[in-house]
Amino acid sequence: MSGTNEPREPGGELDPILAADAASHPHHGQKFALRLWVYEKLGLVGRLTRRQIRFFLIMLGASWGVIFESFRTHSWRRTVRFEFGATLNSVVGGGMVATLFAGTLTGVAAVSQTIYWLGLAGMTKMTGTILVDVVIREIAPILVGMLLLGRNGMLSVTELGLLTTGGEIRSMQAQGLDPFLLLVMPRTLAFTVGGFTLGILFSFAALLTGYVISRISGVVTNPVWTFFYDVITAMSRADYLVIPLKFIAVGFVVGLGGCLTGLTATNEDNLRTLLPRGFSRGMLIVMAVSVLFSLDL
Amino acid sequence: METRTVGPLLELNKAVPSFEESGLPPLPFSMKLMPGDCVVVEARSASRATMFADLCCGLVPLEEGAVKFMGLDWAELHDRELNALRGRIGRMTRRPSWPEFLNTHLAITLQQLHHTNRPLDEVVAEAARLGELFGLPGLPVLPPSRLSDVDLLRAGCVRAFMGRPRLLLLEDPLEASPVDLLNPFLSAITEARDRGAGVIWLVRGNAVWQGYRQGITSLWRLADDGLVEVRTA
Repeated sequence: MSGTNEPREPGGELDPILAADAASHPHHGQKFALRLWVYEKLGLVGRLTRRQIRFFLIMLGASWGVIFESFRTHSWRRTVRFEFGATLNSVVGGGMVATLFAGTLTGVAAVSQTIYWLGLAGMTKMTGTILVDVVIREIAPILVGMLLLGRNGMLSVTELGLLTTGGEIRSMQAQGLDPFLLLVMPRTLAFTVGGFTLGILFSFAALLTGYVISRISGVVTNPVWTFFYDVITAMSRADYLVIPLKFIAVGFVVGLGGCLTGLTATNEDNLRTLLPRGFSRGMLIVMAVSVLFSLDL
Repeated sequence: METRTVGPLLELNKAVPSFEESGLPPLPFSMKLMPGDCVVVEARSASRATMFADLCCGLVPLEEGAVKFMGLDWAELHDRELNALRGRIGRMTRRPSWPEFLNTHLAITLQQLHHTNRPLDEVVAEAARLGELFGLPGLPVLPPSRLSDVDLLRAGCVRAFMGRPRLLLLEDPLEASPVDLLNPFLSAITEARDRGAGVIWLVRGNAVWQGYRQGITSLWRLADDGLVEVRTA
């Protein structure tokens, strides 16, 4: 054996003291090694589980925080009201044209086709029910959620992510400005109101366009009032609760998810990591809410 | 939350900062700042100076000891109380502190608008007055990214002195600053001290504060061996 004077490489050999100890207690050493192995594996499982559900738990806690704080009058300071107004203006004002356009396209592609084929199959009476169940209850919340996510949710992810990694959030805390109260709460609530508003506008635009196309092509001869009356009477009592709730919930989770993804960014994050994470989380959240509200309802 | 109006304004009582959270040496820091005092703290490292200012604001967790501001221990306060108390601190920092989604005038007045019920006109008038004092033509309304570094420095001075803060934590504002900022800065410090505010002026070298030498209450050095008081000749 050569090189006894060479420096030892870290980890290149066993610790002589522990090795001697293990040699003197062979059973104890085996037990110790087994226990260590079990602990390591348990730790790995725990770490993985925690990492996977961490964001979900943060979302749950922050959801409660937003709801709780929004009922406290002291939370609504003028800076918070300003942020709420600015975000609402951006969400509703900025997203209205895109939403109406998407609703119009849905009306052309889905509503008019539904009316046409149901008429051809002699199932005209089912038109209202199918439009409510498919277009308004299922398609509208998902498309509105995607529009909200793409237009404003990703903006929140980027904005808050860069503020967090840049240190501005810390500077705000040093001034006594709580980022949760000043940014997360008003933005989430603005998204909530925006989700409901845009959802209703989308549904209206889709139904109206579908009716107009069907009327022009001669499939429908009823006046527009009769058409809307048929749709409204096809709605069940639960629909009056579930549909608005779905729009509200989609807006809420997209807003909150975007803000939290930005605020939980670390120093290792940049736009290349933040944007895909924000988008995939947002899409998952929108789909999850949509599925959740469709269960047994 | 009842604040103390007599006694030390800021008290570091054998406060051992968490090294993992701050990078500050994990040694007991002791210092008292009385109302009207102006303390110069020499710190060669800018990031260490920022962390020391964070420590004074209660943003750095402690291993031992306590940091008290206006008689209240930061560690014993709830979030709302912490934020309300931090609203009484004026701070100039080397850390990025201008959020891009707010225009400069809003970023300057944000702390006052958030923590007080002062009328908007009054807040804006004070900001404009301070802006003129520090050499700005008025209250800048452009986004911070469109202002020059010097104008941002002036805007930072305006923000720090807004609303008669009880404590001023100033991280080397005069370094690489235009000469015309010196007199307004020193007069603003003197005016704040006359009102009973305490000032911690963090500097990198001792050349910066020599012009205000007679007004300095004590000189400290922040280094690897902790916070040490230095005798001045």
